[in-house]
Amino acid sequence: MALAIVSALLLVVDLNSRLLSPLRSFLATIVSPIYVIAESPYRVSQSASATLSTRETLIKENEELRKRNFELAQVTQQFVALREENARLRQLLGSRQRLDSKVLVAELIGVVPSPTTFQVEIDKGSDAGVFVGQAVIDADGLFGQVVEVAQFSSRVMLLVDAAHAVPVQVNRNDFRSIAAGTGRMDRLELEYVPITADIRVGDILVSSGLGGHFPRGYPVGEVTSVVTDPTMTYAQVAARPIAALDRSRHVLLVFDANAQVKDKEEPAAQQARAEAPAEEPQ
Amino acid sequence: MNPTGGGWVIMLTIALAMLLAVAHLPADAPAWWGWLRPSWLVLVVFYWVMALPHRLGMISAWIIGLLVDVLYADPLGVNGFCLAALTYVTWSFYERFRMYSVAQQGAVVFLLVLGTEFVRMLAQHYGRNGALSWGILIPAVTSTIAWPLVAWALRRVRFQFAVE
Repeated sequence: MALAIVSALLLVVDLNSRLLSPLRSFLATIVSPIYVIAESPYRVSQSASATLSTRETLIKENEELRKRNFELAQVTQQFVALREENARLRQLLGSRQRLDSKVLVAELIGVVPSPTTFQVEIDKGSDAGVFVGQAVIDADGLFGQVVEVAQFSSRVMLLVDAAHAVPVQVNRNDFRSIAAGTGRMDRLELEYVPITADIRVGDILVSSGLGGHFPRGYPVGEVTSVVTDPTMTYAQVAARPIAALDRSRHVLLVFDANAQVKDKEEPAAQQARAEAPAEEPQ
Repeated sequence: MNPTGGGWVIMLTIALAMLLAVAHLPADAPAWWGWLRPSWLVLVVFYWVMALPHRLGMISAWIIGLLVDVLYADPLGVNGFCLAALTYVTWSFYERFRMYSVAQQGAVVFLLVLGTEFVRMLAQHYGRNGALSWGILIPAVTSTIAWPLVAWALRRVRFQFAVE
């Protein structure tokens, strides 16, 4: 009986506040080795296939990677120029310059095995500076956010979890909405989209950064269906997540630099704005 | 003789059950396979409480449950409550359960797993917007199917290591 009351108390406190997160972190530090052991067969088979792969496959893979690297290098060149240009234009507009985000590579060490909860365990924890609420991306797009930090590992909630939502905007026209998880691996739903909104199948959704949690501009999903029923207030818009949620083994933890932007940039921006008219005739 | 009565064996089987509970399938396996996983912990705790009711009490079951909460990413206290309640029920009727045939014990396991999965689902539903579904019947069925095997294996372990 006493245990039932303690359980109920813990449950209510845990669901409604973050008071118990130190306790959770402590327990998570105890149980995280279980995840490491459970994952070890996959690690062994991975390293075995890496050592046993043939010369030909390695050469082929190497060639492909080289090609891809070359392509990406070209894109990066453009990106550098565009970033400079963007920074200059933003300065002319007087808005704050966005700094680059720092990232930390983490590896998946486990998947929470419930068909209704979408969380994974990664191998970086509080000793690497990971914090609750941190955004996680993979090579393709937004992956989720950190919900629990232990000392050497942490828990990431995927953006398709039914308890997850992320502020997004349509890349084509900056229409803002919220992409909520549905508890299905391949589906996000946009909330509160008026039936008159300009949104089409194939539109790319990127994070809008408005919630303050996620950095701006990472791809979140691609609109797969738009149902507009004139008798309803809101359109039903479904999207497919862009990140490889069920395949990525490596993810990136984003240390958002926005928070570090100081107001000292403001005078420079104003100066730039003052000089701007003089440059216009060119 | 066995000075500690084999307490470490009980702990080890419970750790193994936790391991089986989080061991995930290959990435290319269909997602619905995840539903087929038996509740290994319920099976193991049920066996030990029934076989050795004086070894595993409600408090220890509750503490194991707290660890499981973190392991499964459930709200804290859910699995603690479930495992403690399971221990209480089993402890109250262990003499009767021992006399049952394996099939009858399987029926008990079915109800116990269904109960724990139901409580977990309710907590997920009210706390985290999780869906209510009949899917909780599936682990109950697979746990019932797995029960004879688990009972046989744990029985072997119990006599092998003279856990008493």
